[in-house]
Amino acid sequence: MSPGLEPAWVLHTRPYRDTSLLLELLTLTRGRVGAVARGARGPRSRSRGWLRPFQPLLVGLAGRGELATLTSAEAAGAAFWLAGERAVAGLYLNELLLKLLARDDPQPLLLGHYRAALVALAEPADPEPALRVFECELLTALGYAPALAVDTDGEPLQADARYHYRPDAGARRLPGLAEAPAGGVELSGRTLLALAAGAESFTCPDRDTLREARTLTRSLIDHCLGGRPVRTRELARAFRSLAAPAGGKPA
Amino acid sequence: MSAYPRKLAQLIEALRCLPGVGPKSATRMAFHLVERDRAGAGRLAAALTAAVAGIGRCERCRNLAEGPLCAGCADPQRDDSLLCVVETPADVAAIEHATGFRGRYFVLMGRLSPLDGIGPEELGLDRLDARLAEGTVQELILATNPTVEGEATAHYLAQLAHARGVQATRIAHGVPLGGELEHVDGGTLAHALAGRRTV
Repeated sequence: MSPGLEPAWVLHTRPYRDTSLLLELLTLTRGRVGAVARGARGPRSRSRGWLRPFQPLLVGLAGRGELATLTSAEAAGAAFWLAGERAVAGLYLNELLLKLLARDDPQPLLLGHYRAALVALAEPADPEPALRVFECELLTALGYAPALAVDTDGEPLQADARYHYRPDAGARRLPGLAEAPAGGVELSGRTLLALAAGAESFTCPDRDTLREARTLTRSLIDHCLGGRPVRTRELARAFRSLAAPAGGKPA
Repeated sequence: MSAYPRKLAQLIEALRCLPGVGPKSATRMAFHLVERDRAGAGRLAAALTAAVAGIGRCERCRNLAEGPLCAGCADPQRDDSLLCVVETPADVAAIEHATGFRGRYFVLMGRLSPLDGIGPEELGLDRLDARLAEGTVQELILATNPTVEGEATAHYLAQLAHARGVQATRIAHGVPLGGELEHVDGGTLAHALAGRRTV
């Protein structure tokens, strides 16, 4: 059915039968696809080293329906080697894609954003801004793009105003020193505008902006997940609670 | 299945719990056992019953064991200062078979895999932490698989070891012996080059 090879990323693998693998793939033209790679764990497998997360791939898929068959897979460039907490952050991206993207719903732009986030994770600089940008792009792809231009009254956002953001409503301006109502996220217009400006400008925001942006995207993603837990977040917390001074250095 | 006596049908059904055994292989095995090798079938039945009843988990390393301690943990000749962490009992067997390692083991029975819902609690890492806190372990050898999850596990355990003041080492990854660079996958080759050492 598939005419040629297409770019793809492995989101998750699971052993299947004696020597096969069940894969969750993010592909360019078919979106998230479940596929079985027959014999991929066997001693003669040629694709064993490649069918792993963070490895750019070219794959051939056959068959429609719930589970496709992987007919061929080859590396499309060097893998991203993420170590420790960076790997957990990479798995966090995968978990979001697994839980939020429907199967067979192509999101071709998302592959580029995914790669950009992995590039940031593989570099020594703080990867957090790139994670926030990816989360926003993912939300946009899902149709839950955060409203980052105007507030609930239709007025343009002001950098030095305070806002109360609710996933189902958007940003409501808080007058003066008013207390924020329960639920939702209280944050500054500066953070919303910084996120609105997109990937290029959201590279090295200050700590407050970054913290507010994280609170915002987290609440939006939790809203989309509808109560399902994010297990990679729990693992990242476990990593931090070990409180080792060595931060995750990329390999 | 009505073509077979009920007890034979039950045997065929039971044999299908073995990995890679479908209805056809199970039928062949069942016929072999009852037609040609009744003594062997008796030994198999006795061995299965004994193994299921007598094999448990080692209290110290969680490897498969007959009794409270496995052979490796009960052996007084082994070096208590070296602790090798692996994912499965099969990994212990592989290391024992191929290397002269004389330290102790700890079997994780899995790896940190958040996407499968396996975190530090599910792996029971508090027991490993307690073992490190005893103070006899000098070096923690991280022999988890070189997968993304295995690497994350190794990194986590390394931090656990550092917090207890124990040195952590990671097994090397590289080109297999007798292999040819041309046929080695790119990731392994990159690792091999990055992990080169002076000779």
